[in-house]
Amino acid sequence: MKEFTLNEDEQDVLQELMNVAYGNATAVVAEMLDAFASLSIPNIKVMPTKELLKTFQELKNSSYFFSTQAFNGEFNGESAFFINETSAQNLAKHLELETQEDLDDAILELTNVLTSTLTTKLAQEMNTEVSFSLPSISKIPLSEVENIDTFLQYSQVIVIDTELDFQDQKINGNIFILTKDESIQWLKTQLNTILEQLI
Amino acid sequence: MKYLVTDDSKLARLSLVKSLKAVAGDVSIFQATNGLEALKVMKEEKVDVVFLDLTMPEMDGYEALPKLLELNPKANIIVVSADVQTKAKERVIALGAQLHMQKPINVEKMQDILDIL
Repeated sequence: MKEFTLNEDEQDVLQELMNVAYGNATAVVAEMLDAFASLSIPNIKVMPTKELLKTFQELKNSSYFFSTQAFNGEFNGESAFFINETSAQNLAKHLELETQEDLDDAILELTNVLTSTLTTKLAQEMNTEVSFSLPSISKIPLSEVENIDTFLQYSQVIVIDTELDFQDQKINGNIFILTKDESIQWLKTQLNTILEQLI
Repeated sequence: MKYLVTDDSKLARLSLVKSLKAVAGDVSIFQATNGLEALKVMKEEKVDVVFLDLTMPEMDGYEALPKLLELNPKANIIVVSADVQTKAKERVIALGAQLHMQKPINVEKMQDILDIL
């Protein structure tokens, strides 16, 4: 198995592309929730899947639920979104939702809008397109996080981890964009092409 | 005319400098990777136009913006950010920025900016 790494320049380019994509996605969600989010600098790492699952394991202790959305194309993989218990309750309050069903539905919609805007914009910046497979989004019980088939099929993943943070409403969540081996190679080529065009 | 490009991302700086050179030609362009560095450049060079990112380590754009204007009240501050939320735009304009532009800044956008200044 070939081990991929991102050098400093590749990391910088990906981080900046992600920053722009995340800015767009946040604006859409902020409008949806009529709230203002603070943007954080995305954290980017190539890591073995085992390490990622350990991170997920830590997050699940405080989470309300976890949802994923797959995307396909030259750049393919899936996005994962964790929202914690307190944030879920604050979201329910903010949107005046009365039932758990309504809250789950709202979180799934939030995930859908956030991750599809994010990955679409990121792909667009890399001159490609992504499509979303159906069912495009699913709610995963926290107890099953480490057994998810799609995660286990990856050997290494690029993890782009950033936080959605609506401070006034006290709502925050963690977003992960995961891509596997062939996509990592494609991504490295694209990142270098972008950089070469500027030098 | 002296310009300062402030962004923690090398890509963002390279891209902005390229657009700036394409429109403004051979001008003085300084670079900084965060708000603190930008303040240092402003003290030493009294730049006329600052392109300022918002999300940066050490000192972000929100904190740096009023301090840059204290050092040079005549400077034009152009915020260049991925944060396109209306409230972010309103906040930087209230802090004294001339413009808030969405990243990335291509040649056309740069032409528009320089036409306004």
